[in-house]
Amino acid sequence: MVEKTVTVKNKLGIHARPAALLVRTAAKFKSNIYLIKDGQTVNGKSIMSVMSLAAEPGSKIVIRAEGEDEKAAVNKLAELFENKFEED
Amino acid sequence: MEKITVRTFLEECRRDLKLELLAGEKGLDNEITQVEIHRPGLALSGFVDIFSYERIQVLGNTEVAYLDSLSERERTVALNRLVEFEIPCIVITNKNKIFAELIRLCDDRAIPVFRTPLTTTQLVHALGNYLSEKFAPRIAMHATLVDVYGIGVLITGRSGIGKSEVALDLVERGHRLVADDVVNIIRKGDDVLIGMSNELLQHHIEIRGLGIIDVRSIFGIRAVRKQKRVEVEVHLEDWDEEGNYERVGLDDNYADILGVKIPQVRLPIFPGKNITVIIETIALNTLLKIYGVDTAKEFNKRLLKRISYQKKLKEYLEHDTE
Repeated sequence: MVEKTVTVKNKLGIHARPAALLVRTAAKFKSNIYLIKDGQTVNGKSIMSVMSLAAEPGSKIVIRAEGEDEKAAVNKLAELFENKFEED
Repeated sequence: MEKITVRTFLEECRRDLKLELLAGEKGLDNEITQVEIHRPGLALSGFVDIFSYERIQVLGNTEVAYLDSLSERERTVALNRLVEFEIPCIVITNKNKIFAELIRLCDDRAIPVFRTPLTTTQLVHALGNYLSEKFAPRIAMHATLVDVYGIGVLITGRSGIGKSEVALDLVERGHRLVADDVVNIIRKGDDVLIGMSNELLQHHIEIRGLGIIDVRSIFGIRAVRKQKRVEVEVHLEDWDEEGNYERVGLDDNYADILGVKIPQVRLPIFPGKNITVIIETIALNTLLKIYGVDTAKEFNKRLLKRISYQKKLKEYLEHDTE
């Protein structure tokens, strides 16, 4: 299992478009992927779950991956947060 | 189609336009190449610098009254100005009188002359419709077209992916088949696509392992439809792990058919997935969008509101230095 804490940096937070980018990226990995915000854990491959976090800018999210490509998955997803989901 | 012969025009319109052939039978193989119609009033009176002679010429009450006001010699001169051009054919409306000079000249020049009891307005309207359909840009697509809740859904995808089976399933659920396998699509105006069946195929479907079935005979008249505006394309494709499928529906994808953009949904399929129900939902969602409700956008608005509320709450708590 690999975990990494990231910050939501884009102005609007994780609304529909970033959420779609997140789950599409997550779906490319074999590992089970979870996003954890304020103690709430959701499946990182499910769009509705990811949107239900309503993650606001500045909030902290833990990316957790379990599986053969867990490391690559966490790094790739962290990159999306770092790049502000190609927004702003 | 870029041209039709006057013969074709006569055969296809004789009944609807109530045409009678008066002269110029030798010219039935003249070609009609223009979708527009022309009334040659000015040409008759002598102005031929700009004269759209390659169009069908319509002689209405005005033209006939003008010709009637001339002496026989003047009339011959006036009509000569007209027929020295390569005119495809002439139509006289309102069952107006026929001048012997016109008959003679048009027989000589092999220009067919028709007469109709319709008024000029009626004729121009009907003829315009006929010609614009004849000359409309068209394409035959390997696809299936079904009217689902009044929305024309064009189902595309590789051969054997199950377009016909989906169509059959939709018909069984009360929707109407327009065409299977070959859909002839024409463009009307700038932005309307009309799809119809191939004349021979009609409402027949080939189901692998079963053969050809006649949907109309099996399911009745309610299961078929002659033509339908194409409003959304559903592209069936094999499930691909790497495929970037739409997850929210915020980004509208479009397909370009004859220069008209219509919404396109790429639908990955795999065993156990009920494509029929999804297509019904796509049709209804398209209908909702036509009525101005975009669910994906509305939902995102709610989400953004929630996010901004959480942000404000957090800021409030952070600055609350009690």
